[in-house]
Amino acid sequence: MTTSDKWLLRLYTAGQTPKSLTALENLKRLCDEHLAGKYRIEVVDLLKNPRLAKDDQIVAIPTLVRQLPSPMRKIIGDLSDTERALVGLQLKKATS
Amino acid sequence: MTEPVIDLLEAEELRKAIIGGEVDAFVVGRDESNQKVLLLANAYQRYRQLVETMQQGAVTTSLEGGILYANRRFTELLRTPLTRLYTAPLQTHVSAADRPRLSAFLARGGRASLEIAFNSADGTRIPTRLSMAVYDGYASILVTDLRPLEWAGLAVDALDSIRSSVEKLNAELREPKARQALDNISEHINGLARLIDSLQESPGPAESKNG
Repeated sequence: MTTSDKWLLRLYTAGQTPKSLTALENLKRLCDEHLAGKYRIEVVDLLKNPRLAKDDQIVAIPTLVRQLPSPMRKIIGDLSDTERALVGLQLKKATS
Repeated sequence: MTEPVIDLLEAEELRKAIIGGEVDAFVVGRDESNQKVLLLANAYQRYRQLVETMQQGAVTTSLEGGILYANRRFTELLRTPLTRLYTAPLQTHVSAADRPRLSAFLARGGRASLEIAFNSADGTRIPTRLSMAVYDGYASILVTDLRPLEWAGLAVDALDSIRSSVEKLNAELREPKARQALDNISEHINGLARLIDSLQESPGPAESKNG
């Protein structure tokens, strides 16, 4: 596994919807297990400011956007499928 | 990867997330200015639970005052069932003198607050603070019952009054004449106590007859 030094992960949520809370919980767990000490999570609540959805062209919530390292990657959903989340973040190679 | 390929992968990602039930809200609206978040039905449950169980009243009205929603606490405050609340505007629950003030408050829109008293169905006057936020042409109003504050204020007033009486009494007791008067009263009380004791020790009328 190759990981760059700085990870900036932006999670788009809609207030405290069940999926938003699950996504944040899963993201924290995933980061602690795979990116300990080198990540930063930004939570963007689109219920408070829906216009921010435009920045990363968000359609569904929750959506995680890997801002750094580039290139940008987007993972839609509550991250409960750890395998898919790790592949999406490129922390793991896809198994065909 | 080219842009069309990335778009395709994203579309596939979205499809998988929707089918897997991993999302509960969508961003809708063609351009930035009218983008909104659309919550799926189950996503509302947490908010509903919070609003229904909180100790403040919550009511949603049109800008004319038509009641569209009220939480349990608000119906309790007005002692009026929800089905009856829907039939009349919010203004009917305040005094006639306050109705223009409430109407102006609702029509103003935006974010605002107002102190006004409601009249419950049993005639109780309920002083409240309304905090309003207008969204999409509807007013969401949080209703805080101010009676506990009034009661607390009355209790503080009563305590202040007692405190000043005690201070006054203390000051008077420092006077020699007052001290003498207090000593006299104490002597009388002690005398009365001795008399009661002796009466209890002596045989009663019935006992003396039979004895």
